[in-house]
Amino acid sequence: MFQKKLLFFTLGFVFLFSGCGQVAPNPSEIETGRNNVSDTTEIAPQTVSIDEGGFGSGETSATTDGATGSYNSSANGFQSVYFPFGEYEVDESQMQRNIDRAKETQGKIKLEGNCDEFGTDEYNYALGLKRAQAVKESLINHGIASGRIFIVSFGESNPVCTVSSDACYLQNRRVDFRLVK
Amino acid sequence: MPTKRSIVSQCIEGIFLKYLLFVLLSLHLFAVDASLTIEKDVEQRARIALIDGSEQFNPLAWKILLSDFKISGHFLSDTKHYTGDLASNYIPASLKNREYVIKYKLSTTPKSTLWVRLLEASSGKELFQKRYRISMESKLPFLLHKAISDINNVLHYSKIDWINRYVIFSRYVKAKQSEIVLADYTFSYQKVIVRGGLNLFPIWADAKQKSFYYTSYASLRPTLYRLNIYTGSKEKIVASEGMVVCSDVNHNGSKILLTLAPQGQADIYELTLSSKQKRRITQFHGIDVNAKYSKDEESIVFVSNRLGHANIFKKSLQGSAVLPVVFHGKNNNACDSYGDKVVYTSRESSHSFSQNSFNLYLTSTQGGVTRPLTTTGSNQFPRFSRDGSIVQFIKYRGNSSSIGYINLETSQSLLFPFKSKKIQSIAW
Repeated sequence: MFQKKLLFFTLGFVFLFSGCGQVAPNPSEIETGRNNVSDTTEIAPQTVSIDEGGFGSGETSATTDGATGSYNSSANGFQSVYFPFGEYEVDESQMQRNIDRAKETQGKIKLEGNCDEFGTDEYNYALGLKRAQAVKESLINHGIASGRIFIVSFGESNPVCTVSSDACYLQNRRVDFRLVK
Repeated sequence: MPTKRSIVSQCIEGIFLKYLLFVLLSLHLFAVDASLTIEKDVEQRARIALIDGSEQFNPLAWKILLSDFKISGHFLSDTKHYTGDLASNYIPASLKNREYVIKYKLSTTPKSTLWVRLLEASSGKELFQKRYRISMESKLPFLLHKAISDINNVLHYSKIDWINRYVIFSRYVKAKQSEIVLADYTFSYQKVIVRGGLNLFPIWADAKQKSFYYTSYASLRPTLYRLNIYTGSKEKIVASEGMVVCSDVNHNGSKILLTLAPQGQADIYELTLSSKQKRRITQFHGIDVNAKYSKDEESIVFVSNRLGHANIFKKSLQGSAVLPVVFHGKNNNACDSYGDKVVYTSRESSHSFSQNSFNLYLTSTQGGVTRPLTTTGSNQFPRFSRDGSIVQFIKYRGNSSSIGYINLETSQSLLFPFKSKKIQSIAW
């Protein structure tokens, strides 16, 4: 009989203290919110909005050269130079028309390096710049004064074709020529 | 007079009861440890339920609250939308087995106001209450983030202050046109802060997010400016032929890492802002870009094609040795750093333009295990949170675009879809 009482006592003891493993914070450690005042001040102030328009709005469009069937998005009689994926070595066969045209003209020549949309931010801009630099060196090697040429990279920001195809992406991996007046 | 049979029966019963007592007491003695072990190994997150006391259900606010709790890694929230009186301490019986109940009420007139109460689920005892108010309704997501980070802090979990920060990014709108946008981390709030022309590579100039650097193409030479987002004051920092990008800002904002190309050659420089002195860090005939301070700003990690393809390298700011950090992949062309940790993008497929193009990996400048963080889609622009606990990235998959977050401790991830205008660069 005593053992039965002991059993019930033990069962009660077990059930009474079961559940002590619950992870609850110590109420004394809880900070109670005070005074109901918003403290979102760091994001509350109004931010500005500025307009830097006026430059760069000129879109570039690609045309197809009737004689050669090649694409072109350069101006002033120049022919854009195109590159394989990830490459920045100039195919000299694409340069002759540009060398001739550079010799016919005067004034500064701006070379704009461009990429397809693959690759990420900075690397793509550097790749576009390497393409422009390679074309610049080719022009210099063919007698064009280095002081006439300056380069800029537009990375993937200036696509002339937005269709998802290898042929389209090829049109975007290019260096465009512009005469600067 | 007990029979022999009943005596034997009582003895067996006694022995059984003794064993039963022993087993029950043993179970209880070890139950606490067992319980704690299970909680540690299986589920450390606090189970919570949200009770909405608003007059009108706001699905966006509800979604943001659930996202905040989930990405914190500290809470396991009910996804069921309960309603109830904000002021009452009554907890429905069905919710008493949660650890906490959060009651909230949202009102958008005349100002966006959020009332929040944190209650202990078992007793209904109030642990925290606060009212948040902001005049611009569009900034409501920040109110919600602030409330959740406060609740997190009240319960003494590790900080999740990163959810309160602005995200800044540039996106293309058309050829040679982009805009710079301020957003909350979910992209629920968005505001164009610079529009017109081509403005790229925004990055925060200070820890308090008052100013940011960006590259402007408004003149013939790309130019780096610093713009104060509250006053609109703009300061020219540096210009360079070819390209100029601010890749990273040191902890106290006194120095920045730049990619410059003064002779048409992209290399990494460090600029001390007070003296405007530039120091060339790398000198290579190929591509060196994307420098990030590493290891207490004693060294950098950066992207270079010096082994014939884009890969991640490290270099001491004082020494000359350049060492690879990553030993797999043939096109690892973007990275971010936090302490010794490095997260980077790797092009996976051999075909240039396949769908499964870019994945993220986590590695260390000290060697060790490299861990994949994503497995599908095109995942780019990896960025660490300021405490290094979360990785932010942009995911393109099919025709959809999302901003994603990976909690490195819990491996939980969240994606927030956004309308697809191509992101150019992002900072946090």
